Amino acid sequence: MSNKNIRNFSIIAHIDHGKSTIADRLIERTGTLTKREMEDQVLDNMDIERERGITIKSQTVRLHYEAQDGEAYELNLIDTPGHVDFTYEVSRSLAACEGALLVVDAAQGVEAQTLANVYMALENDLEIIPVINKIDLPSADPERVKKEIEDVIGLDTSNAIECSAKTGQGIDEILEAIVADIPAPEGDASAPLRALIFDSYFDSYKGVIAHIRVKEGRIKKGQRLKMMATGKVFEVTDVGCFRPQPVDLGGLAAGEVGFVAGSLKDVRDVRVGDTITTAEKGAAEPLPGYRGVNPMVYCGLYPVESSDYDNLKDALEKLQLNDAALVFEPETSVALGFGFRCGFLGLLHMDVVQERLEREYHLKLITTAPTVIYHVFKTDGTMVKVSNPSELPPPTEIEHIEEPYVKATVIVPSDYVGAVMEISQEKRGEFKGMDYLDTNRVMITYHIPLNEIIFDYFDRLKSATRGYASLDYELADYKESKLVKVDILLNGDPVDALSTIVHKDRAASRGRALAAKLKEIIPQQMFEIPIQAAIGSKIIARENVRARRKDVLAKCYGGDISRKRKLLEKQKEGKKRMKAVGSVEVPQEAFMAILKID
Amino acid sequence: MQEKAWGLYVHLPFCRRKCFYCDFASYAGREAQMAAYVRVLGEELAREGGALLRRYGPPRTIYLGGGTPTALPPARMEELLSALHPFLVGGADGAALAREGSGAAGEGTHQRRNGGSADEAVPAQEVTCECNPGTVDAAYLALLRAGGVNRLSLGVQTLDDALLARIGRIHTAAEARAAVRLARAAGFRNISLDLMYGLPGQTLAGLRESVRAAIALAPQHLSIYGLMVEPGTVFAREQAQGRLALPSEEESEAMYNFMTTALPAAGYARYEISNFARPGFASRHNLGYWQDVPYLGVGAAAHSYLGGQRYENLAGIDDYLAAMAASGSARREEEPLTRATSMEEFAFLALRTVRGIEKARFAARFGCSLRSVYADVIDRLAARGLLVEDAETVHLTPLGMKYGNWAFEAFLLDE
Repeated sequence: MSNKNIRNFSIIAHIDHGKSTIADRLIERTGTLTKREMEDQVLDNMDIERERGITIKSQTVRLHYEAQDGEAYELNLIDTPGHVDFTYEVSRSLAACEGALLVVDAAQGVEAQTLANVYMALENDLEIIPVINKIDLPSADPERVKKEIEDVIGLDTSNAIECSAKTGQGIDEILEAIVADIPAPEGDASAPLRALIFDSYFDSYKGVIAHIRVKEGRIKKGQRLKMMATGKVFEVTDVGCFRPQPVDLGGLAAGEVGFVAGSLKDVRDVRVGDTITTAEKGAAEPLPGYRGVNPMVYCGLYPVESSDYDNLKDALEKLQLNDAALVFEPETSVALGFGFRCGFLGLLHMDVVQERLEREYHLKLITTAPTVIYHVFKTDGTMVKVSNPSELPPPTEIEHIEEPYVKATVIVPSDYVGAVMEISQEKRGEFKGMDYLDTNRVMITYHIPLNEIIFDYFDRLKSATRGYASLDYELADYKESKLVKVDILLNGDPVDALSTIVHKDRAASRGRALAAKLKEIIPQQMFEIPIQAAIGSKIIARENVRARRKDVLAKCYGGDISRKRKLLEKQKEGKKRMKAVGSVEVPQEAFMAILKID
Repeated sequence: MQEKAWGLYVHLPFCRRKCFYCDFASYAGREAQMAAYVRVLGEELAREGGALLRRYGPPRTIYLGGGTPTALPPARMEELLSALHPFLVGGADGAALAREGSGAAGEGTHQRRNGGSADEAVPAQEVTCECNPGTVDAAYLALLRAGGVNRLSLGVQTLDDALLARIGRIHTAAEARAAVRLARAAGFRNISLDLMYGLPGQTLAGLRESVRAAIALAPQHLSIYGLMVEPGTVFAREQAQGRLALPSEEESEAMYNFMTTALPAAGYARYEISNFARPGFASRHNLGYWQDVPYLGVGAAAHSYLGGQRYENLAGIDDYLAAMAASGSARREEEPLTRATSMEEFAFLALRTVRGIEKARFAARFGCSLRSVYADVIDRLAARGLLVEDAETVHLTPLGMKYGNWAFEAFLLDE
C-alpha cells in the first residue's frame, strides 16, 4: 500500500475519559474483529489493566478502513496509557505517529493530564483532532468543553467531533477525520532501513518482539538486521502488524507500524528508542531516540523466601524489557537480606510492577516504603544521591540535604480552591499561580516536595474535593530542606528497612504516628515487643505490642480433623507475608506503614 | 477376620436448646424427626459398621456425641442402643449381663457406690455417651448402662448458676451434681466432666470455685475448653453488638494457667492439651483421633477416617435423611490426603498428646525418619522452647501446649 493511504495515530486522554472504549469502537467499526471476538477494552489485555480499568502498556493495532472517498486505508492505532506515571509510554508512542485523537470527557472537561498529553503531542508536531466523548451523558456540555479546549490549550475546535463511544455515535466521523486531517507518513522506502523501536515484549516462543515504526527503507523476512546502539545482529523470522494479535506479513515498509521478531533471546539486546537498520549497507545515523526516563520513586523489593532472589532478578529483567522506566540494582538490608532497590515513575507504576511480579512470576515480596532521591551534600564537599534512608550519612558528615520538588498542576471547580491551597500549604507547597479555565474551573500550580506527593497528597486532594481534583506533576528542581532520618527499633534493634527521611519540623509527630501504626500492624507474639522511634540516639516515641498470652485450640469435634487443618492453614497463610526480623515476625504492611499515617 | 483397632462415632444432632457458644451440628426443636433419624442411623450403622465389624471385629471404642445424645427420649435411646448392640465386645451376652446388673440400679445406689471392680472400671471396650445434666434421671442412666455404655461425659461447663444461664445451658449446678451422683448410682465408674473457661463474666476466683467443686465430685476425667466465639453463634452476634464482655487475655491466661496446674495437682494427669485423667482413665476414643487410629462416623455431620481417607456426612438433619433415603449414603469423600498432608496430620495431631510424636511410629508409617522431613521445624520450635526431642519422641513443652496452634502450624509443609 502506498504511504498516502497510511495513517499512524494515537489516542490521548486524561484517565477515564474513554480512550480505550473509543479504540474498541474503531476496531469494531472497521471489522478488524468481529462482534463475537470483541471483548470490552480489547487492547487492555493484562489482567491488571482489565481489573483496574486502566491502560498501562501502549498497544498497537492495524485497522483496514474503506473511506467515503472509495479508497482503502491502513490505520495504525497506538493506544496509550492515561495515568501520570505512564506519561513516558505516551511520549514513545507519539514518536511513531503523525496525529493524535485528543479525547476529552464532555461532562468533565479538560483535566490535568489532558494538558500534559497535548503538550507532548505538540512537541512531536502531531496533528490533533479534538474528540468530545460521552455526549450521551445527561451532564454533557460539549460547548463548554470546546471553549475550554480553545481557551486553555489554544486548539481550534471547529473540527472537533462529538461522539459517544458507548452508543457508537460519531465513530464514523472520527474515522473520516483521521483520513482527512492526519498527514500520511513520509519516508523513502528505497533509502537504507531505519526503524524506531518504541516498545518490546518477550514471547516465550519467539523471543523478544520489538514494536517498530519504519521511518525509511523496508524490512523483509529472512533479512539480517542490526541494532544500532547495541550492535546486535539478528535474522528476521517474523515481521508484520497487530490485528490486535500479531500477524506475519513478510515485510514492512517506510511509513508502517508493526513488529519484528528474530533470533533475539536476550532482553538486553533490544532497547526501546534504538534504531534498527540492515546488517550490511545500513544507515549511517540512528534516528533520534527518546529522552531517557528517570525514576522518581524508589523502594526496596525483597523476596519473602531468600531462595527466590535469582527468580526475582530474572523477573525484573523480563519486566524491564517492556518497561524502560523500571530500574533496579542489588541491595542488602540487615533486616530483609538480599533484594533490589528499584526505581519507578510513581506509586501506581510501583504498585503495578509489584503486582505483576507476584502474579506473572509467582513471587512473594516484601516492599519497603517508597522514597525519593535526596541529594546529600557532605562536609567534605562531595554530593551523594540517597534513595534508601538507611544509607543517609551520619548527621555530622552532612552539610545540607536537597530534595526534589515537582511542579504540580491541579484542576478543580472553583469552590474547592481553598481546600486545595490548605492541603498544599500543609504539604510544604509553594504557591506558583492560579488561572480560571472558565467561570467555574480553576487551574492551580504549586511547587511541592515530591516526597509529600508520594505520601498522600492526591488522596487528600481527592477527598477534600469530592473527587473533582485532577493532578499532574513534573519534576521541577532540587531545593534545600531541613531533613532528618527517623529510625525504628524493634525489640531494641534498629530495623534499617523501616527508616524514613522526613522534614525536621514533623519528625517527632511522624515518629510517634509511625510507632503507633506499627503497633497496630505487628501481630502479638510470645513476648512483648517494644517499638521505638528515634532520631539519632534520641528516642522520640515508644509503643509496646503486648505478648500474646496463649493460642490453644481445644475442641475437636467428632473427629473433624479437616476443620482443624483449615484453621491452621488459614493461620499459616496469614503469616506468609511475614519476615522474621531478628526474633520478631514483621508483616509486609509494616514496611509500608509510613504511607498509612496521617 | 483380621483384628484391628478402630473407633465408632455416632452423632446425635438434637438439643433441647442451642447453647450460646455452640456452632456444632446440633439443632433444637427437631423432636419430630428423632424417630426417623434413629431408624436411618440404625441402617447406616448396620451397613457401614457391619462391614468393618466383619472385617476387623468390634471397635475398640464407641462414642455417642452430639448435640445431646440424651435429648433422645428413652424409647429412641433404647432403639439406638439395640442397634449398637452387635458392636459391643461379647456381643449379646455381654450386653445382657450388663442389663441384668442394672436391674437393681435404681434402688441399690448406696451399696454400689464404690463397689465396681478394677476390671469393670477399665473394660476391654470404652463406650462413651455425652450427656447433658439437664436431660437425665436415674432411669435414663440405667438404660444407658444396661445398653452397654460404660463411660459418661457430662457437659457441666461450670458450677456457677449465673454463668450457666449466661451461656445458655439448660441445667443448674445442682442438676450437674445430681447427675454425677445418679450416674455413679447407675453403675458408671468412668465419668468425665467438661469445664469451660474464658466465659463472659467469668472471673479467676469464680473458675477456681468451679474447679474445686468439680474435683470434689471425684470424676475420673476432666476436659477443659477455652471459649472461642464462632461465627453464627449467639455470642458472635452479641460480640458484633458490643454486648459480650469476655475476660481479658491476661485473665484468660491466668485461668488456663490455673487449670493446667491445679488439675494435675489434684491427681488428674494431663495427657492431651485439654484433657486430664486419673491413671488409666484417659479417653481412648479421643486418643484414637490423635494417634492415627481409623474411625467410622455415622449420623449427620459425622466424620470418618478409613483407609487413609477422610469422609464427611452431610451436616443437616434433612439433608442427611434425604441422602440416606435416596442413595443409602450421606457420606462424601473429603479431599484425599497426600503423603505430605498425611504427614502433617500425623504430626500435629500426635503433638496434642503429652507423649507427642513417636518417632518409630512415624518412620514405620511413612518409611522415612521424622527428622528427614521436619528437622528444621523441630530445631526452630525447640529453640523457642515450644517442644523437646528425646530418644523416642518429639513432644510439646507446657509452653508449647500453651501456644499449640503455632507449633502445629509449623508442621504444615509448603506445597
